[in-house]
Amino acid sequence: MASRASNGQVEAGVTGAHWLDDYCARAPRGDVLCQATGLDRAAWDAAFDELASVPDTLAGARERAQRHADDIGTAYRAAGEKEERRWPLSPVPLLIGAEEWRGIAEGMAERAELFESIITDIHGEQRLVAEGVLPAMLVTGSPLFLRPMVGLMPPGGHQLHFVAADLCRGPDGRWRVLADHVRVPVGAGYALENRLAMGRTLGGLPSRVNIERHAPFFAAMRAGIAAACRRAEPRIGLLTSGKLNPSYPEQAHLARYLGFLLVEGADLAVRDDQLYVRTIAGLKRIDALWRRIDPRLIDPLAFDANSTIGVPGLVDAMAAGNVVIANAPGVGVLESPAFAACLPALSERLLGHAPALSSIGTWWCGDPQARAHVLASLDQLVIGPAFAGPPVAGLPDGAVLGASLDDAARERLIAAMALRPQDYVGQEVAELSTMPTACGAGLLPRPFSLRVFAARGGDGRWVVLPGGFVRIGDQPDARAAVMGEGSWSADVIVHGPDPVEPVSLLQPTDSVELRRNPGTLPSRVADNLFWLGRYLERGEALLGVIRVLFGHSISADTGAALAPATVERLVTIIADTGAAQRPPSHRRRDLVDFAREAMESVDGWGSVRAVNRLATGIGGVSRDRLSADMVRLLDAPHPTTGTLLDRAGTLQRRYAALAGLSAEHMGRTDAWRFHDLGRRIERALAVTRTLLSVDLRRANAEDLSTLLDLADSQISYRQRYLMGFARVPVIDLIALDPGNPRGIAFQVETIVQHLCKLPVLNDAGIAEPQQRIAARLTAGIAMASAERIDRGWVLEINQQLQKLSDAIATRYFLQGAQALREAGLTLA
Amino acid sequence: MMRYAIRHITRFDYEEAAGFARCNLRLRPILWSGQTLEDYALLVEPGGHTHPARAQAGLANVTRLVVERPERTLTIESRATVSVDRPIPLPSPTDPTLADIRAMVANVADAGPASPVSYLFPSAHVPIVPEIADWCAGDLADDRGILDAAISLARRIQHDFAFDPTATLVDTPPAEAFAKRGGVCQDFAQIMLSGLRGAGLPAAYCSGYLRTLPPPGQERLVGADATHAWVLVWAGPELGWIGVDPTNGIWMAEDHVVMAIGRDYADIAPIDGVVLGSGAQTMQVSVDVEPLPVG
Repeated sequence: MASRASNGQVEAGVTGAHWLDDYCARAPRGDVLCQATGLDRAAWDAAFDELASVPDTLAGARERAQRHADDIGTAYRAAGEKEERRWPLSPVPLLIGAEEWRGIAEGMAERAELFESIITDIHGEQRLVAEGVLPAMLVTGSPLFLRPMVGLMPPGGHQLHFVAADLCRGPDGRWRVLADHVRVPVGAGYALENRLAMGRTLGGLPSRVNIERHAPFFAAMRAGIAAACRRAEPRIGLLTSGKLNPSYPEQAHLARYLGFLLVEGADLAVRDDQLYVRTIAGLKRIDALWRRIDPRLIDPLAFDANSTIGVPGLVDAMAAGNVVIANAPGVGVLESPAFAACLPALSERLLGHAPALSSIGTWWCGDPQARAHVLASLDQLVIGPAFAGPPVAGLPDGAVLGASLDDAARERLIAAMALRPQDYVGQEVAELSTMPTACGAGLLPRPFSLRVFAARGGDGRWVVLPGGFVRIGDQPDARAAVMGEGSWSADVIVHGPDPVEPVSLLQPTDSVELRRNPGTLPSRVADNLFWLGRYLERGEALLGVIRVLFGHSISADTGAALAPATVERLVTIIADTGAAQRPPSHRRRDLVDFAREAMESVDGWGSVRAVNRLATGIGGVSRDRLSADMVRLLDAPHPTTGTLLDRAGTLQRRYAALAGLSAEHMGRTDAWRFHDLGRRIERALAVTRTLLSVDLRRANAEDLSTLLDLADSQISYRQRYLMGFARVPVIDLIALDPGNPRGIAFQVETIVQHLCKLPVLNDAGIAEPQQRIAARLTAGIAMASAERIDRGWVLEINQQLQKLSDAIATRYFLQGAQALREAGLTLA
Repeated sequence: MMRYAIRHITRFDYEEAAGFARCNLRLRPILWSGQTLEDYALLVEPGGHTHPARAQAGLANVTRLVVERPERTLTIESRATVSVDRPIPLPSPTDPTLADIRAMVANVADAGPASPVSYLFPSAHVPIVPEIADWCAGDLADDRGILDAAISLARRIQHDFAFDPTATLVDTPPAEAFAKRGGVCQDFAQIMLSGLRGAGLPAAYCSGYLRTLPPPGQERLVGADATHAWVLVWAGPELGWIGVDPTNGIWMAEDHVVMAIGRDYADIAPIDGVVLGSGAQTMQVSVDVEPLPVG
């Protein structure tokens, strides 16, 4: 039996239908669910049954949805925030019937093509301006207008390939546009991820409702960009500004999903009007970029000369027809809030009728009549900046409700408007429909806006993603102006009467064919993965030394204390890495402090924690190459609970898990090879450092035992030798035995195998430097015998390993691509 | 009528050998009313390829220069012979008022690089700053003639601000120069631009050369001049763009040679671009504006 607690919370055990009835009794006029009838209502019923089929509360369902979202790796970072935060997901999707959706999709497609015509004119003859249909100030007033684009024709003839819009649904069921996104339309990746998470929460829904799929849309978008390229099998990159961009996780996800190369400006180079990506196999041509960075920054020679993240000459390459940039720079001029005021006239002029999907009521004050209207209706409107620029006079915090202004503020605004009327728009205060949202513990009606996406397909026509995502306000106030960015997101399901080709929503690769052209591993990515491997091994090795120091001399219950000479050697190994200052004495307290500093110090670059921080940073920029599990382990904060020994144990288990994931879960691509090369070189270096800490000629039993501990080879030794510790067998096992996975010989053998598989630049059959060094290492090991190994031999191996690391960097990673800028003006 | 031989030499020195320099040069003076470019030459050492740049932001002759291996030095010399025949503007009671200008600019159906609507809005280096707008407003009453208001504002800037090359750098924002009440030509031009645009009046940044007179009784020093910056105000469709120099509190006339016009410095930087290399670089500029005999 359904029961409702006094706080409006719906309790466990009720059925979906009861939830639904209960919700409708409380929802306001115009709620999407309450207005649904027939098939649409049946779909809502099915969704609620699915929600209710798991015996827990809504809060539980929300947790579950969020957990799935976390598993998929959805993270969202607001501009300016350093740490990613969760993008909270409501488990209740928005359901839209096929009939209603068709209106939205046709309207979006028409609007996208209208925009294409307008921007083609702005970047061309500007006839619409000369005719007076498009006020000149709407063009030049936008800081997103890029004059250098005027006169340049993009390859394929299209400026737009991908657009988005935020729509609102009125209580009357009419959909209208709140805002257009054409400059850098973000969010498609979130739509994908929300869908995956929703599929895991409402797993049975696809068998009960015909849900439109996402995959064909992304395939169409890829085909649309490819169709504009000159080569039949184009290489396409997703151009990102890197980790600090708020939508970097989304970009990494989309790149992986679409099989695009995730590239930064430094990965690219233009030579003779052709665009190339710097890969481990040299410069490779690249045909198209899905641009996700501010267009002003893409080419310091074309727009902002101060840009350090762009590619000099990129716009020339585009103008020469060799690179498709989706979308073309400068299209952001269409996004100005003021543009909406002129769209009806532009639509009449270009299409012969009003737009099917109209914007919310907008009046641009650059037009004297519109300004008069705005001034007369100030209290009924939102007053905002006309362009996406810096704050304008009288509106220090951006758009405001006219009615909220006090007398003084109103006077200031009117005075400012008299001087620069073109900087202001008045917008209707749109009233929004609500939808059921699992915020708090209950199911509450909350206002929402819908982001939809359209892409140009291979045949040049626009395709609209059936779905998108909704943003949900956390206040019941259903006015668009007060909703802000929204606090929750939810999936959008488009359903119809006809069955959709069945596809499991549980399949993360949903079906766009993944393409990974061998040889297109960007040098920067190789560099990052190599160092990720080195840092992880470095941290693990250092932790190992600390644990040996602990295990034998600090903890009173385990084993005999080490000889002072051994403690001194361990302290030296740690201190030499820069992890901690040498302790004043070998007293227990000093050694504990020393170990704590080496493990947890946040100063400098040497402690385990500091090395992990470096690894975390690289993990953040390598998301498109690492599994979500690896990223999560790398992102895990430094442990803070338990004793120092417990915390060391936690870290040790993390390293083991990361090593396991990279060994067992990374595909055997060049990316993995670089990661493993980094690990092998660092591990071999750590062993050489251990050997160097002992006088090999005179090592006693304790020295040998410590060596085996540090090289993690105690068990291997005992399996081979029943006797106690003997000098020659121990050295042989650690240095020369290729069967010991912790020994030097094994690392070198693996390194040689990796280097053989990596691309070589010269085809004359002459070995490259890194191959020569590897051969020298192999020979050094092959010709050595354990009896004769001395300090000199170990030093030689150590130096060759460091040379090898440098040679790999010189050969495969980015070199000397630093851009310097200078301006030649003196002032008087 | 005046004639000038202009030599503008820029020399870059690189601490370590540099490779693959790509620059935009905006050195060749544009075609502008009242001045004629009689002769022009561009000399680059070591030689590279030049071609007109495809993408252009303002009213400038943009030349793309590519030097494969500049090594340790790159020298760019621009030589121009220009004749200038430009009357001194005379404010008149029949000039459009500021209120007229605001109404006129709203009706301009042209978004091109010479259109006043291209210079009405804040730009990257010249934001609209409330303090500057308030300060300038004293000269910018609605019913005042545009030329009268422009020269009066320029003279007040010249009078109230100290010429002080140590006060600012090339990227000092106008608000900072305004607060210091000091700076150089670019600072004064940007403050005036910010004030005019804040009042809804189109105004452009103009870069070029100014003839400088040696102190009485002394020889003109070759190479001691510098590039100069001033302001163009839009005075309605009939009068068009009129130049005014807030550094000196004078009109642009026969002492000024226009090189390029933009929204701010970024549109008209005489040289910008990138060079591959890792060492430090230094730059030296010498400018010489030599009056030539007329006829």
